[in-house]
Amino acid sequence: MQLLNTLLIGITAGSIYALMAIAFVLVWRSTRVVNFAQAGMALLSTYFGYEAVSRIGSFWVALPVAMIGGALFAALVELILMRLLVKHASSGPIAGVAPIIATLGLLGVIRSVISMIWGGQDLRIVAPISNNGFTINGSTLVFSPLKLLVLVVVAVLLILLTILFQKTNLGLALRASAHAPEIARLSGVRVDSVRTLGWALAGAAGAVAGLFQTVNGNGNFSPDSIEFSLLLVSGFIAAVIGGLDSLLGAVLGGLFLGITISFVLMYVSSGLFFIAPFIILLIVLFIRPQGIIGVKAGRRA
Amino acid sequence: MFILGGVVLYFLSGMVDELRVYQGATIAVYVIAISSIILLTGYSGQVSLGHGALMAVGAYAAAVLRIEFNLPIILCFVVAVLAAAIGGALLGAAAARLSGPYLAGTTLALAIGLPSLANQFAVLGGEQGLLFDVGFPPLALGEDFTQYKWFFWIAALAALISMWVVRNLLSSAYGRAWRAGRGNEVAAQLAGINTARSKVLAFTISAGIAGLAGALLAMTIGTVSPSAFPLALSFSLLTGAVLSGITTLGGVIIGAVVLVAIPEIADVVAHRLGSSESVTTNLPGLIVSGLLILTVLFVPNGPVEQHRARKAKHAAQHASSKKDKH
Repeated sequence: MQLLNTLLIGITAGSIYALMAIAFVLVWRSTRVVNFAQAGMALLSTYFGYEAVSRIGSFWVALPVAMIGGALFAALVELILMRLLVKHASSGPIAGVAPIIATLGLLGVIRSVISMIWGGQDLRIVAPISNNGFTINGSTLVFSPLKLLVLVVVAVLLILLTILFQKTNLGLALRASAHAPEIARLSGVRVDSVRTLGWALAGAAGAVAGLFQTVNGNGNFSPDSIEFSLLLVSGFIAAVIGGLDSLLGAVLGGLFLGITISFVLMYVSSGLFFIAPFIILLIVLFIRPQGIIGVKAGRRA
Repeated sequence: MFILGGVVLYFLSGMVDELRVYQGATIAVYVIAISSIILLTGYSGQVSLGHGALMAVGAYAAAVLRIEFNLPIILCFVVAVLAAAIGGALLGAAAARLSGPYLAGTTLALAIGLPSLANQFAVLGGEQGLLFDVGFPPLALGEDFTQYKWFFWIAALAALISMWVVRNLLSSAYGRAWRAGRGNEVAAQLAGINTARSKVLAFTISAGIAGLAGALLAMTIGTVSPSAFPLALSFSLLTGAVLSGITTLGGVIIGAVVLVAIPEIADVVAHRLGSSESVTTNLPGLIVSGLLILTVLFVPNGPVEQHRARKAKHAAQHASSKKDKH
């Protein structure tokens, strides 16, 4: 029973990491930038969701509001910051580190502005359904309706995203701009707009990850909550495990990370909560530096 | 030149009030920490978001030795450098296989993970941390020689020494090897440079310097605790390095002064505007992050380098206009 519980907790957490990893992958594919502000964007979207919940009172409205808000904000960042960055800082000794520094700066700006608007204290979003575990044969599982909901929503989003990428012209344009931007441009794809769309999709995915990370935890969140730093690191690690270039890889990476952490916490030591992701990342990078799915050359960014 | 700088600092420390002396000590600590980032990122081309964690390693090493064995303070600092350098060598061995965002992400994970380890071992004192007391200033310096002045002296001396070391390293064969590897790794390998080893070495040295900065920071605060080395510290070091001009060691004082001055400036601005408390407390963070973005976008190589480039351009124009006259 403990084994099953550990596994289910891991899968739920892992599916949230997977969403975050997808956000990283979408941004990486569209602009070859690892967006370290991703967690900040997710946090901002969570505040959008909070506003929606407190005004309208329904989590089901808050979810799309957060997604749309997150998508718009991410698109704005790409339009303003990323294009300026390409224009001004794409050569010289700093070119390799400029995107990293710029997105970190953005993370700082987002956090400060959030604290100015909403204050630094904990806010709370109440989960739409119960987080009390199911009871089977008289024993209570840790797995709850809420966790089931998280899994279902994540699965639905993944299916929608797959359909978008594999079955539509837009998806074709997204894939083409990721793999060969010059050729895509020659074939009449508006690569710049497609890039903005990639960021917007990432913003929406991050928004869902942020909301679910909050309600799957204790429901509290604040500009400084460690949950979001963890989301940043876990999402990044999941994306790296998956090869940083593949959506399927991101999902597998997220699940793998979630389950592994869950087992480490249960069977090794619960004090390893913060350091476990780092150790897993190091092991992965040493054993299989190209990720689960991914080409070897991809690692040299 | 460094000796001259030391003499100037000596007279300055006698003239200003206590708060300024304390801020001077903090600036000296930042100078050391930022120069470690400049060495690593600007010269060797590796990004670390985990230098806050390496500073913590140095600080804890120094504090544990001080408490458990009561070693003389200078030895504590030496051990802080060694401990952080060992940590840096381990991290660097992993880092040499990574580049760009992978390295940034890995060190980020370390920065979040490592401070929590302090809660795992009793000897590290948990959330409260450890006391780190460098002792009173020697009596020979006189009655009115204050504790803060003593901090400043130690920090400033350490800053001068480490700047001297870093400067010489950067203009040595090692420095050239780092820059070659940063510019074009394959070309550097063709020229006979072992780029992997050179990267690990850069990481080790940078970590050692960061460890020293960590121990000095702990000295000025008086304690070592996980909360003294937050993720934000790693970020602000990077900000300081970028503001200083990440490829020029000469600008390092700019970044250090800005990091210390911004909270004060923000405080004044917020009071002028009469804004609420949540704005006041978060204004420094906003300014630092905003400056970081603006610098990367508009003066990517830092103010010093920008000035130099403009002067060179100006001189070139001047020369060519002279030529035209003939």
